[in-house]
Amino acid sequence: MTLPDTGDLSIKNVTKTFGSTTAVDHVNLEVQRGEFLTLLGPSGSGKTTLLMMIAGFEDASSGDIALDGASILNVPAEKRNFGMVFQGYALFPHMTVRRNISYPLDVRKRPKSEIESRVEEMLALVQLEGFGDRLPKQLSGGQQQRVALARALCFAPPVLLLDEPLGALDKKLRIEVQAQLKAIHDRVGTTFLYVTHDQEEALSMSDRIVIMRDGKIEQVGTPNELYEKPRTVFAADFLGKSNFLERSEATYALRPEKIDVAPSGDLQCAVSVTGKIQTISYFGAVQKLMVMLDDGKCLEVDVDIWRNRNAFSVGQVVDLGWTDDAVTKLEG
Amino acid sequence: MILPFLAVIAGFYIYPIANVLWLSVVEPEPGLGNYAALFDTESLRRIILTTIRICVVTTFFSVLFGYTIAYAMVHMDQRKQNLMLALVLVSFWISILVRTFSWLMLLGHNGLLNNGLQAIGVINEPIAFVRNELGVLIGMIHYMIPYAVLPLLVNMRNLDMRVMRASQNLGATGTQTFLRVYLPMTIPGIVASTILVFILSLGFYVTPAILGGGKVLMIAEYISVQILITLKWGTAAMLATLMLFGVLGMLYVMSRFMKLSAVFGGGR
Amino acid sequence: MDKQFLKESVQQGAVAFKAGKMDRRAFLTLCAMAGVAVSAVARGDAHAAANQIILWNWGGSSEVCHGQYIAEPFTESTGIGVGFDTSGPLQGKIKAMVDSGSVTADVCDADAFDAIALGDSGHLEPIDYSVVDKAKVLDGFAWEYGVSIIFYGYAFMYDTEAYGDNPPNSWADFFNTAEFPGKRSLYKWANGSLEGALLADGVSKDALYPLDLDRAIAKVKTIKEDSLYWGSGSEAHSMIVNGEVSMGMVWQNRGKAIEDDTDGRYKLVMNEALAMPGAYIVPRGNPAGRDAVMKFIQTAQDPKAQLGLLDCLGMTPTNPTAFGMIPEGQKAYAITSAMNIDKVVYNDPVWWGANSEKAVNAFLEAIS
Ligand SMILES: Nc1ncnc2c1ncn2[C@@H]1O[C@H](COP(=O)(O)OP(=O)(O)O)[C@@H](O)[C@H]1O
Ligand SMILES: [Mg+2]
Repeated sequence: MTLPDTGDLSIKNVTKTFGSTTAVDHVNLEVQRGEFLTLLGPSGSGKTTLLMMIAGFEDASSGDIALDGASILNVPAEKRNFGMVFQGYALFPHMTVRRNISYPLDVRKRPKSEIESRVEEMLALVQLEGFGDRLPKQLSGGQQQRVALARALCFAPPVLLLDEPLGALDKKLRIEVQAQLKAIHDRVGTTFLYVTHDQEEALSMSDRIVIMRDGKIEQVGTPNELYEKPRTVFAADFLGKSNFLERSEATYALRPEKIDVAPSGDLQCAVSVTGKIQTISYFGAVQKLMVMLDDGKCLEVDVDIWRNRNAFSVGQVVDLGWTDDAVTKLEG
Repeated sequence: MILPFLAVIAGFYIYPIANVLWLSVVEPEPGLGNYAALFDTESLRRIILTTIRICVVTTFFSVLFGYTIAYAMVHMDQRKQNLMLALVLVSFWISILVRTFSWLMLLGHNGLLNNGLQAIGVINEPIAFVRNELGVLIGMIHYMIPYAVLPLLVNMRNLDMRVMRASQNLGATGTQTFLRVYLPMTIPGIVASTILVFILSLGFYVTPAILGGGKVLMIAEYISVQILITLKWGTAAMLATLMLFGVLGMLYVMSRFMKLSAVFGGGR
Repeated sequence: MDKQFLKESVQQGAVAFKAGKMDRRAFLTLCAMAGVAVSAVARGDAHAAANQIILWNWGGSSEVCHGQYIAEPFTESTGIGVGFDTSGPLQGKIKAMVDSGSVTADVCDADAFDAIALGDSGHLEPIDYSVVDKAKVLDGFAWEYGVSIIFYGYAFMYDTEAYGDNPPNSWADFFNTAEFPGKRSLYKWANGSLEGALLADGVSKDALYPLDLDRAIAKVKTIKEDSLYWGSGSEAHSMIVNGEVSMGMVWQNRGKAIEDDTDGRYKLVMNEALAMPGAYIVPRGNPAGRDAVMKFIQTAQDPKAQLGLLDCLGMTPTNPTAFGMIPEGQKAYAITSAMNIDKVVYNDPVWWGANSEKAVNAFLEAIS
């Protein structure tokens, strides 16, 4: 994959208020060309609003947005050339798949031949060859999603904005489409700015993730960085599961799978405590133990089922242990 | 449960219609004489043509204005939209007679407009806005606009506005978005209000009678004259039958182009 | 709903109706709900209870005027009540009512040509001239199936400011747009308009009937471009009062009101006014029975009643005894006053009874 020559998006100190609510609060963000960047946050955290400002459907209350160094605040939405995949897809219901995909080229009055070949190319990209003459309502949800993607990519936009594009799909299909989406990103090399509230989706696809909370950026980093080194309780809790430990005025995060567990007396580890198993829940590959420590606090522990066949039962007293590098000190 | 209901339908609708069909072939004497009159009575044809012409023009402008109004309404904030809707609905309550005479007062020979224009010296002689076909059209269009607005409003309110944003996002100008996306997506509303307005227009007779100065004769008035004054019930029944099948034919042709259930808000 | 309950309700309704506690419409609704044909109720046991004459007229002030000048004296002398149906007894409605077998009116304030047409087609009761007095009707206006109680007429009014010293005075002037320029208004359902056209075209008063339709229509068409047509008295009235026309045909009884409304700017011309005999007719199988309704008609022949209607509605008496009693202020507008009676032209209801269908359609075709 060669790096595209455009697609650097910078968001400088952008704020958006609706009356007394501040939907986006002094956000600074550099999106690099070709990057797959995900905005991750709970519902109401300002993700859509930020995307709408980038697409030009909402005006920023203050701050600046620039593409490749030039401000685009005064460029109307239809001139910004950002592709967008809407929540619910927003396909044109009265147009065939082909006409949906060619739409951005049609309105730009491009030559017929170019349009035709480009549409075929797009249909191939999203694996919908042969579906060109159907109407959107004759397609499944996943197929509609891919039409929306093809339509948004058809005019080779420097940046593609995706607002919860997989929200309407069921879990199994979602995982499938995630992989396809990632593959397509790798092939076209366009900057993807992806919005989701689903942490697994964010983890599996993104080059970098931006965790948003109440209109502010909580933390930015690669999936690995964010998972291994969450900076705040919110980040640690929202991305993956975490136990929180209070040690000498500070809070530490400890991931459930980083805790070793053994029947009482068996464990040789740096830090070790004992507790009693309250509940066991089964998740296929792992089981989650809820262990109550002697001081009354509960820790969540993930245990590999296969390697610990029949080792644990509710009410059993166990030793818990972890190494120093398993815990992360959090801010505030 | 459904059977008595069907019986009521039959009693209230089918029986009178059958009766009209029957009359059209037995009054004043059995045969197709009433229908033959269509071919050899020039005046009947002229009345039918006048009716169709007026209804088509009325429908066109009512739907055009209705579209504009509905479009403006869905783009207003909720409070203004409710106010407008109330205004539209209130107009259903004003009797057609009152409205017709209001037009006379407004546009008549000595009406507000003519007097005003004369007072400021724009014209010397009053302009004949009413008591002619123009008057009939003004009165009918005005009456029909609310009927045109409602189906369009329902249609427009149910549109997914993200689709318009998508169009804009994909590079379409406002005009392009309107012509390529908005307009096609409101076709069901346009068709519904066209059918509604056209059918209602066919039955008009107070407005043409008064605003037309007696010179614009439409089928409905002609039928009522034949029933009440000249007692040519056969002719009246024939014309009523013709209108009925005209409307049914129109619906049939429409249904070949689109699902009527979609037009009238059924299934999705 | 329970049939017995409804039947009893109807009978109670009939009593309430008679006592004047329930209006006619409510009574009819009740009958309809009970699924009882009104005529059956009216003619059967409820009839005796409801004991009442229903006068079918055109509403407006006619309800009050008929009530005061005919119904009141009638009820006083016979004890029979009078109710009104004000929806207008058009020929088609009378025909439909009689054909359906549920007759709800006893006497209709109709036109003489209705008496001829509907009498011929068997929809009317003959007039009983042993009760109704032929001598109390101007000669020639008492027919087998109807008797004339009043005259009204078509005359025209003109704008005095438009024509100054040389005012129009005949239908010839009315149709002469060259000498008397300006808009005209005519009655839309042909009646009167055709006669006016023929008189204007030089046909003499006595040779008017049978009307030469083609000739009349041709004359009407000569002023088509300058004409408006009205279908109701109020429309005719407003066309003149609003200055839409410089000469307008009107029902002569509106003449005074229009002269007043325009402060005398428009004047009524009674020369060659077309006298229309109104007729009281009785739908066949009328609910109150023949005797009662004939007595009612007899009451309407009384000069007092007729002069009352003249005062109240501007309808002119047909009883010659009343002609001389027409008050001073009404003389100029009344058809049968001494100053007008020799100038007017009488409509021939027999011709209209036989030809109205043809005439109306031909006229409509010509003007539309
Ligand atoms: N048009 C609007 N008017 C008023 N408030 C809005 C509007 N759009 C969004 N908000 C508010 O801004 C905040 C962020 O919303 P949004 O950007 O939609 O969040 P997310 O997409 O992360 O769920 C929410 O509190 C929401 O209620
Ligand atoms: Mg959102």
